Order: sequence, then structure tokens, then C-alpha cells
Amino acid sequence: MSKRQVAMVMDLNKCIGCQTCTVACKTLWTRNEGQKHMLWNTVNTQPGQGTPHNWEKMGGGFRNGEPQPGHRPGVGDFGKAWDFNYKEAFHGGEPGVRLAPLGGEPGQGPNHDEDVGGGTYPDNYFFYLPRLCNHCTHPACLEACPRKAIEKREEDGIVLINEDHCRGFRFCQEACPYKKIYFNEARGISQKCIFCFPRLDQGVANACARQCPGRLRFVGYLDDPDGPIHKLVHKYGVALPLHPEYGTEPNVYYVPPLSPSKHDADGKPTGEMQIPLDYLESLFGKKVHQVLALLIDEREKNRKGEKSELMDILIAREWIKNFGPFDKHPRSIENIKVVVK
Amino acid sequence: MKCKRVSRIDLVLEGGQWSGGDSTQVEMIATPLPMQPTGYVIKSWAEKPYGTIKTLTVDAVHDGHALAVRLQWEVPPATTTDFPPAVAFALPVKATSPLVLMGMAEAPMHILRWQGGAQAGVRSVLAKGIGSSNHGPDVGQKALARQDGNRFSVVITRVLGSGAGAAPLKAGTTTKIGFAAWDGGNEERAGIKSFSVDWLDLVLAA
Ligand code: SF4
Ligand code: SF4
Repeated sequence: MSKRQVAMVMDLNKCIGCQTCTVACKTLWTRNEGQKHMLWNTVNTQPGQGTPHNWEKMGGGFRNGEPQPGHRPGVGDFGKAWDFNYKEAFHGGEPGVRLAPLGGEPGQGPNHDEDVGGGTYPDNYFFYLPRLCNHCTHPACLEACPRKAIEKREEDGIVLINEDHCRGFRFCQEACPYKKIYFNEARGISQKCIFCFPRLDQGVANACARQCPGRLRFVGYLDDPDGPIHKLVHKYGVALPLHPEYGTEPNVYYVPPLSPSKHDADGKPTGEMQIPLDYLESLFGKKVHQVLALLIDEREKNRKGEKSELMDILIAREWIKNFGPFDKHPRSIENIKVVVK
Repeated sequence: MKCKRVSRIDLVLEGGQWSGGDSTQVEMIATPLPMQPTGYVIKSWAEKPYGTIKTLTVDAVHDGHALAVRLQWEVPPATTTDFPPAVAFALPVKATSPLVLMGMAEAPMHILRWQGGAQAGVRSVLAKGIGSSNHGPDVGQKALARQDGNRFSVVITRVLGSGAGAAPLKAGTTTKIGFAAWDGGNEERAGIKSFSVDWLDLVLAA
């Protein structure tokens, strides 16, 4: 058990699916050999298959405390990044050439069902779900590894794969129920989100959080009463873990999405939310009902001009406060040496 | 198991004149499930057969300077290409090193392990118990591998002598040798493998 735990909260009411977080992470951490297919941060449309495709059906995690066998996602499951014929299409000078993926049928990309969602017009619906490794309190990955190559940092609970000890056995990939571990075929090791620990160590928030134009990501310690995480998770209880039934006690939490009203045959609002509550319950558990009710109440207060600390936090009126103690500017980082062996 | 003395190992490797009928058939069994180091591995392999490599055909020769061990085996058709084929032999660093426990802190065992695939090569490993193996000493280990369909032939060589952490080898003495093999095509890796249960004598000719 770690002494403290850092965590992230994402307010799904504000995610616009822009993938700035995905690109911020990709540019910072996964541009090296064997990492082409890696997106430690992904944003998928719900309902949908997600990344890796159909990850929720791939097993792993715990049931009644017992580890559950799981599928080991391969590059194809994650969806290959496509290469395009940019040169020929834009600079080739041949009138017949159109922009197209290289290498024939490229297969499903990582975000192939973007904006498909569910329901039928006029009550069709979707929302975006950004995901990263949850740096779980009960990490299935760590417990599965026969080489003890996965560590949970004592000081902040960040879960890291020790690349010197990893032998590429990939039990962690099978055991993680969130399927957030990638295999580097060039180096024969597993790799995953490191929660930007070199930034956090210098008081700078994660790249995905800091870069998010929706300002929906909060970072901090779970036990810091003045920080946003403690307030959202414990004080107001509006941030919930994804699939708590997987048994790993995730430390990434979500404020579930409200949605506009459904319509009756005459096109009048019925008052029932477009995103089905049982679908949200299947993702975030039973607490989702009380959370949505509280969000509606607090939003109403705000509308009436009454004070709501919860709404002030979620609106991110003071954006820099989203990051708790990790509020330093990235430019303040000194002496970071990236070691790639 | 006899380890014949030859004039030059490199000639054996080139000419293929191995032990002339002195091959040893080593019986292998699957590593017991309760000995697997994590609950996940135990649970996920409870219903799945492993240890498919039941026999290794082994020959050993030395030339006073180096040892060469040839390991040959056959596997069923592969169900995955995610994991490489692999084979290893272990020698005790001390006479008391237990094979079934993969050595212990005071009496480690010294493993030379070859694997194919993208990270092909032979690795020297020092094991001090199940799930606690680390980089072993450099004993000039090399490997020569051939695959013909489902049949493998791998020769692993190292220098004789001793050194920090290295299992001692000297012409004219007897030591022990143990084996492990992984059918990568059956997703075998780590403790999911077959092994030779107990040490065999390795008699190095004078
Ligand atoms: S999300 Fe998966 S990889 Fe991350 S800590 Fe939890 S079990 Fe491990
Ligand atoms: S950067 Fe923010 S708004 Fe854009 S996809 Fe990521 S979480 Fe959503």
C-alpha cells in the first residue's frame, strides 16, 4: 500500500473529443522504436468498441478477489495507425491520385467508430470517454507479473513497469481489465502510461491534463483536503471510477455526463435524459444516479446565482487550481534527461 | 550424461560430428501449477495444457577450453507467434543448488537460455529461487540455432572454468545439469514450461 495516492478526475460533461490529450501524450512519450501503435491516452466515443476494440469483453481484473483470465490485445486489436500517400496526393502532380491509406485495406484504426454512438434520431446520443492507465490501488498487472517487474511507487501510488526487469511475458496485458498495457515488439517489453511522473516530480501536471482545452482534467492527491481531487471524489462524491466491478480500485475518476431531454412524438422534451441511465450505470455503477441528481441541483443553484463550490470547481473558473500541487509551468522543468536504452 | 572430449569444438560445430550415438533422451514434465509465482498465472493456466515438449535430445562435447551442448526437440503446430521458442540448461554454482526450486540465495544456479524470435540470442542468468533470476556472468556464451518446421536444434556453447557466479566446469570432473524448454507456439513463457525434474550427472571427460 502506497503512503499517498495521486489521482485524476475527468468531467465527461466537458470533453469535446479533440484528442489534444492523446497527441500531447504521444508526442511526449511514445515516439520511439516499437511504439507506433501506442496511445497511452485514448479518447473513444461511447457507446462504442473503444481501444483496444471491445476491450470491455477481454477479461482480466478480479472477481471475489480472484484474478480472472484475460485476453492479450495485439497491435490489430489496438488498431494500427494508418500511413497515407500524402506525397503523391498533395505534391505528386498526378490528377487521378486521391488521398488514401497506404498498403491496401488498413483495417480498423484506433478510433474507427468515432461519433457513431447509440440511439436513433432525434434521441441519438454519444459522449467521449478519455482513458489512461488507472494507476490502480489493487493493480492486476502488478500482481500478475512473475518477475515483479511492475512497481507501485510508495510516495504517490504511480504504477510503473521496470523496463530492465520486464521480459515481455505479457501476463500484465492479460490481467489488466482496462487493457491499458502495450507491447513493444521491437524491444520485447511491455509499456504503459507513466502518469507523467517526471513532470509530477517537479510539480508540473500531466501533459494530457495541462494541454486539455476542455479544462476537464483535475490532478492531485486523494488525501489533500484543499485539492480538487479530494473534493470531487470524497467531499462531493461526484467522481466515480470506471467499471468498479473489475476489482482493481482505479485512481482515475469520472464525473458522469448529463444529457439533453428525449423527445416525444411531437418533438416536445420528455424530461428523460438521452443517454440511458442503465448504460451509465453499467459503466460507473449504481452511484451514478445520485451523482447526476446532485449535479442537476448544483447546476440549478448556479443558475439562480447562488454559490456552488462544486460548480466553481467543475467550471474550472481558476484553471490552474485543476492541478492541485502540480501547478508549475512546464517551462520550469529543469534537467530532465530522457534515458532510452 | 557423457561429455566427450574432442580436439576442437569449432570443427564439431562445422562438421556436425556429435557424440556418435551417445545422445541422451531427457524426459521433461510440465512445471507444477502450484509452483507458479503469481495467482494470475495459476488461474489462467489451470485449464490449459502446457509443457508440450516432453523430450529433449541432448549431446555434449568439450575441447578443454569450451563446452558445447546440443539440444533438439519437436513441438506441435503453433497457435500463436507472440512468444519465441526457448530452451535452457542449468548448472549448479554449488553442489547443493536445488533444481526444482531454481536455486536459492546461498546456492544459485547458472542458466544459459536461448530464445528465438525478434530478440533471439543466448542469455546468461543467475537464479536464486523461483521468480528471482537476474543477469548472470559472462561465460562467452554463444548459440547456433536451426529450425526445420516444428523441429529445433540449438547448440549452446560457453567456456570452461569458473568465476564469480559462474557454474564451475573442469575437464575430468563430474557436475550436474538440468534442462527447461518453452513451446512459444503454445504461449509458454516464464514458469510455464517443461523441465527435467532433477539434475542429471554431466561427466566431463579428462
Ligand atoms: S489500469 Fe491496468 S495497467 Fe493500469 S494499474 Fe490498473 S491494472 Fe495496471
Ligand atoms: S484534450 Fe480534453 S477535451 Fe480534448 S479529447 Fe482530451 S480530455 Fe477531451
